[in-house]
Amino acid sequence: MDYVISILPQMGKGWLVTMQIFAVTLLSLPLGVVLGIARLSKFKPLAWFMEVYVWVFRGTPLLLQLLFWYYGLMAVGVRIERETAVYVAFILNYAAYLAEIFRSGIQSIDRGQYEAADVLGLSRRQTMTQIILPQVFKRVLPPIGNEVINLVKDTALVYIIAMSELSRVARIRAVTDDTLVPFAIAAVFYLLMTAIVQNFFKWVEARLDYYH
Amino acid sequence: MYMLQAIDIHKKFGHLEVLKGVSLQVKQGEVIAIIGPSGSGKSTFLRCLNRLETIDRGTIEIDGEVMAKNGPDGRAVYSNEKDITRLRRKMGMVFQNFNLFPHKSVLENLMLAPMQVNQVPAEEAEKTARDLLAKVGLSQKANNYPFELSGGQQQRVAIARALAMNPAIMCFDEPTSALDPELTGEVLRVMRDLALEHMTMVVVTHEIGFAREVANRVIFMDDGLIVEQGSAEEVLLNPRQERTKSFLSTVLVAR
Repeated sequence: MDYVISILPQMGKGWLVTMQIFAVTLLSLPLGVVLGIARLSKFKPLAWFMEVYVWVFRGTPLLLQLLFWYYGLMAVGVRIERETAVYVAFILNYAAYLAEIFRSGIQSIDRGQYEAADVLGLSRRQTMTQIILPQVFKRVLPPIGNEVINLVKDTALVYIIAMSELSRVARIRAVTDDTLVPFAIAAVFYLLMTAIVQNFFKWVEARLDYYH
Repeated sequence: MYMLQAIDIHKKFGHLEVLKGVSLQVKQGEVIAIIGPSGSGKSTFLRCLNRLETIDRGTIEIDGEVMAKNGPDGRAVYSNEKDITRLRRKMGMVFQNFNLFPHKSVLENLMLAPMQVNQVPAEEAEKTARDLLAKVGLSQKANNYPFELSGGQQQRVAIARALAMNPAIMCFDEPTSALDPELTGEVLRVMRDLALEHMTMVVVTHEIGFAREVANRVIFMDDGLIVEQGSAEEVLLNPRQERTKSFLSTVLVAR
């Protein structure tokens, strides 16, 4: 027990790094909405570009993307902060997945909704923001919840560019102190975080349950 | 002058010619019923009138203003987007599947477009909405959501929603086809009341009874063309064309 308490401050620091990556990557949510809409654009080059974007960022491991944004850029003489590389990698990667979720959500809305908005004189923008997207958000909530929980765990990948987040701290302690206890503590931290995310989504789903 | 004028409307979906030259002129206050078998093009024709579908050839005029007319190459050219938007606002549309906004309450469904499109202040929009709900007999449902209503009630809300934009013409695309038989009456009653108020109406319908009682003119379409038109008695009771007769015998027997 004393050992647990003794390493908690250090684990806590790692947890803060994890939380920071998590929080900043949530920016990929609004970005995903925009990219999802762009993917459906009637302007073909844009839709095509988005398809390639999704292919590249969803089609390669996030681990490789992290290496690219940090060491890859460094190799060609572009130095960016470790944190910046992490944020860029995570946001662009997650936005690709989220864009696909939002795209499919938008496409799942009945054509009659567009037509009703159209004959009432609503502009495309009004139709999107007032009629389509609110219904899309409700529909895509479960898959978005999945992605956000994945994100909690994916933050562990940044060990590859030597950033001391929760799981890396645990590993270092485990090796130096020759014990598995730090891993157990890390697991508890992750479970607490996912429990919060899970309950948050449950709460939002309940709040949106006022219509079918 | 005509409230609505469509001349020689042609429309193809790919290679399938669904409208082969359909013309219709509607005077202020007239109620037109368009009947015909499924696939006859009647719904497509109605949807062409307010540009839910674009036409390939022909002329469409609303309240004396051109929405589309043939260009030099014989293909329809639409007016500029601003004029079209203005003209389309004169037309209300009621769909077979209601298409209410499920995430908005009944009252919000009625207030949305007046506030967003016509910048009507909220209090005024709400007053109009409540008046219209009273008119369709749904005052007590103002704060309910569409899924809580029966099909007939939803369709009455949809009619009220269209009326909230104060249209000069109301188009109905098979408004009772998705309803259980016992629920069609309440919707037809609301439409009959509208007709009595001299609303200009174009109704695509399978309700022969409604067409007979309410329509000033009945149009029978088949295979992308108007086969026969005239007063309800002429078309429904004494049809001249064989196709009209056989269609009527099938729908009347089915009842």
